[in-house]
Amino acid sequence: MSTTTPTATEPVRAATEPPREGRRAGAVLALARFEARELLQQIPVLFFFALYVLLVALRLMSKDGMDDFPVLNTVDRRTQAAPLLFALALFICANAAALRSRKHATVQQLAVLAMEPWRRTLAHVLSVVPYAGLTALVVAAEYTREALKPGAIGQGSAGELAVGPLCVLLAGITGVLLARLLPSSFVPILFVIAVYLLGVLVSGFVDDEQDWVSRLVPVQLFSSSGGDPVPSDLLGRPAGWHALYVVGLCAVLTCVALLVAGGRTRAVKAATALALAATAAGAIGQLPGDTAALDAARRTASESPQRVQSCSTYDGSTYCSFPEWSVVRDDWAEVVDRVRSAAGGAAETDLTIRQRVDTSGGVEADAALEPSATPGEVTVGGRWGGNRVPEFAVGVAAVLVGGSEDVTSEPMCDARAVTVMWLVLGNDPTPSATFRNVRLDDSTSGSGVVLAPTNGLSLTGPQTTVIRELLDRPRAEITARVKAHWAELTSARTTTAQAAKLLGVEVPKEAEQCGE
Amino acid sequence: MTTAPTASTGPTGPATLTATDLALRFGGTRALDGVSLRLTRGVTGLLGPNGAGKTTLLRVLATAVPPDGGEFTALGHDPGTASGRLALRRTLGYLPQTPGFQPEFTAFEFVDYVAILKELTDRGARHREVRRVLEAVDLSQVRGTRIKRLSGGMRQRVALAAALVDDPGFLVLDEPTVGLDPEQRMRFRELIAQAGEGRTVLLSTHQTEDVAMLCHRVVVLAQGRVRFEGTPAELTARAAGRVWSSTERDPNALAGWRTGTGSFRNIGDPPTGAELLEPTLEDGYLLALDGENTEVAA
Repeated sequence: MSTTTPTATEPVRAATEPPREGRRAGAVLALARFEARELLQQIPVLFFFALYVLLVALRLMSKDGMDDFPVLNTVDRRTQAAPLLFALALFICANAAALRSRKHATVQQLAVLAMEPWRRTLAHVLSVVPYAGLTALVVAAEYTREALKPGAIGQGSAGELAVGPLCVLLAGITGVLLARLLPSSFVPILFVIAVYLLGVLVSGFVDDEQDWVSRLVPVQLFSSSGGDPVPSDLLGRPAGWHALYVVGLCAVLTCVALLVAGGRTRAVKAATALALAATAAGAIGQLPGDTAALDAARRTASESPQRVQSCSTYDGSTYCSFPEWSVVRDDWAEVVDRVRSAAGGAAETDLTIRQRVDTSGGVEADAALEPSATPGEVTVGGRWGGNRVPEFAVGVAAVLVGGSEDVTSEPMCDARAVTVMWLVLGNDPTPSATFRNVRLDDSTSGSGVVLAPTNGLSLTGPQTTVIRELLDRPRAEITARVKAHWAELTSARTTTAQAAKLLGVEVPKEAEQCGE
Repeated sequence: MTTAPTASTGPTGPATLTATDLALRFGGTRALDGVSLRLTRGVTGLLGPNGAGKTTLLRVLATAVPPDGGEFTALGHDPGTASGRLALRRTLGYLPQTPGFQPEFTAFEFVDYVAILKELTDRGARHREVRRVLEAVDLSQVRGTRIKRLSGGMRQRVALAAALVDDPGFLVLDEPTVGLDPEQRMRFRELIAQAGEGRTVLLSTHQTEDVAMLCHRVVVLAQGRVRFEGTPAELTARAAGRVWSSTERDPNALAGWRTGTGSFRNIGDPPTGAELLEPTLEDGYLLALDGENTEVAA
């Protein structure tokens, strides 16, 4: 067959067409939009995104008083775990989308179209970006809502806030990459199981959440997060480096997916090198740096907080806190005023309100603070609002009555416990409810332990009875009696029965058994 | 409703596709064995028995698989180079033998998806183009219906619409009428005839009727080799004087079968004095196979 015959060529296309390279990039973006819309029609994506938004909304609408005083350096970390189920759904659905052609046998007919498989892979990766963006919006809304509260404490870290959306992105990209490496619909399930088992295995020997290995996990799944909030500079979390590490991971997985799909262009190879460098920088940046300095800072904050705290004075009392907590000093002062006023002016001890933390077991450990032996010093913890308010009032009242916090180290089987509780509840707007809430057993009868920032206060059954009786009497009358008999009511030698008589309520019939 | 399209002597003119000595092996099998072709604008039929290499040839010409040997150019593009392959793919429409579908997509979504993969970026223009091709294949009414709810014939038309999107200059259709009922087949022939106007269309088929009605040229392929290339009339003419009627099957005939009248129609070298019959395209096709795969049961 001759090949010298004249050959017709393709007709010239419209001059309005954009340049080819621009058109090619535009086509990738168009496909990404198409795939993003397809993902939106997947029930798991819709369901878990709705669930994620619902959980965040419920958390934001929670009426727990502590939520009025959010500590922003814990709020930022709290945003990381919530979108994980959504990320899992996106992982599964992005994988299924990337496998769609194979599943429905369209590979053959689509293989001869202009857009190469690696560009389609890039479009699949880009299709999950809007979902990371949506997650970022939810995270931003959640954080902004908390940060705008008048009682918001400190500030969060952009690095910590970025982790949740980045993990959503990472999950989607991982789904696409798996589809290119192991094109089977069973692989995602096996992968999830494998990751879970690996997590369990790793958590077996990486139990210190500050361990460098645990930081290579995108989300800090091993964190117990049960501790009291601490100042940001004591956290020792290189959030910026961690975010860079996760960004790098996203980029590396994207590049690997493109290379596997045939995109061995210079640009992809250069991007791969850059991504590897970013990931390595992020990983190395998370290496424990000057641990001695961090340990020293934590030791100082735990043992000599006055060296790093600022103080303000109000009405004779001094309020000392870590700088981030200065916003709640007025709220502390209000409680001190209320407690004092229940004594009708008899409680004249000048107090020092001292914020304390205990980082000896790490910043995530739920350490109990020991009572302060310093006369007139009242401990306050990192959380504020809700039940922490009456607990603090117990601490204030105990120091006003006993002189120092360590008075609660031994059970007060005498009038003082009754006086402390009157000071706490006397001017409380809902004394019965507060009495119930501040007791460990949530009851208003029998013996029990009343919570405080340090040691709890033990109440005997008769003491509880007297306190309940007091709450039924006119406040002004009781306040006057407290003022009149302040010396007796704050003496360890005055029994509970005598206190009842002094306060004008019925003496309990049951026998008092100290330590019951 | 529809008028059966008839084959014309067809457009000729300059070659739009020229293939020289195309070869492809699958293991020890020569799927293509030195295929040379010259296509012009209009519909060219590709006839051949099962296993003749028709689908393989179409896949090679559609750039789905590269040949082991030989070369071809289509619309001035050489698919042997990356840029030539891309340029050809930009002007190619390919309907495979068993097209796949994303069953959850609507007809519109599927064709739109293909249009995006053909790098039509302007959303408005692309959607107009998708609507145009769906209208061309008479699927406008069901464009919002999920493909899994469409009949086999409708799905085949969706696949044709996908092949037609962006007005390709070179259309490769691999047995598009298989599995269609006669009415659907007639409708499809109309569509292919329209598609052949101004385009180069290569149509693989088992149906000589398709070729007779649609194609201005025909290529017969057997065992990976071109057995005939010319017009349908030329193929038919090859059987002139080689088709005869008899009361019994002639044992010397290459093929013979009992017709509706009860007599036998024989093809081959007629005996002296045989009652010769008017040849058809199918007779020419069977003779072009030269005795291979021409066994027809009586």
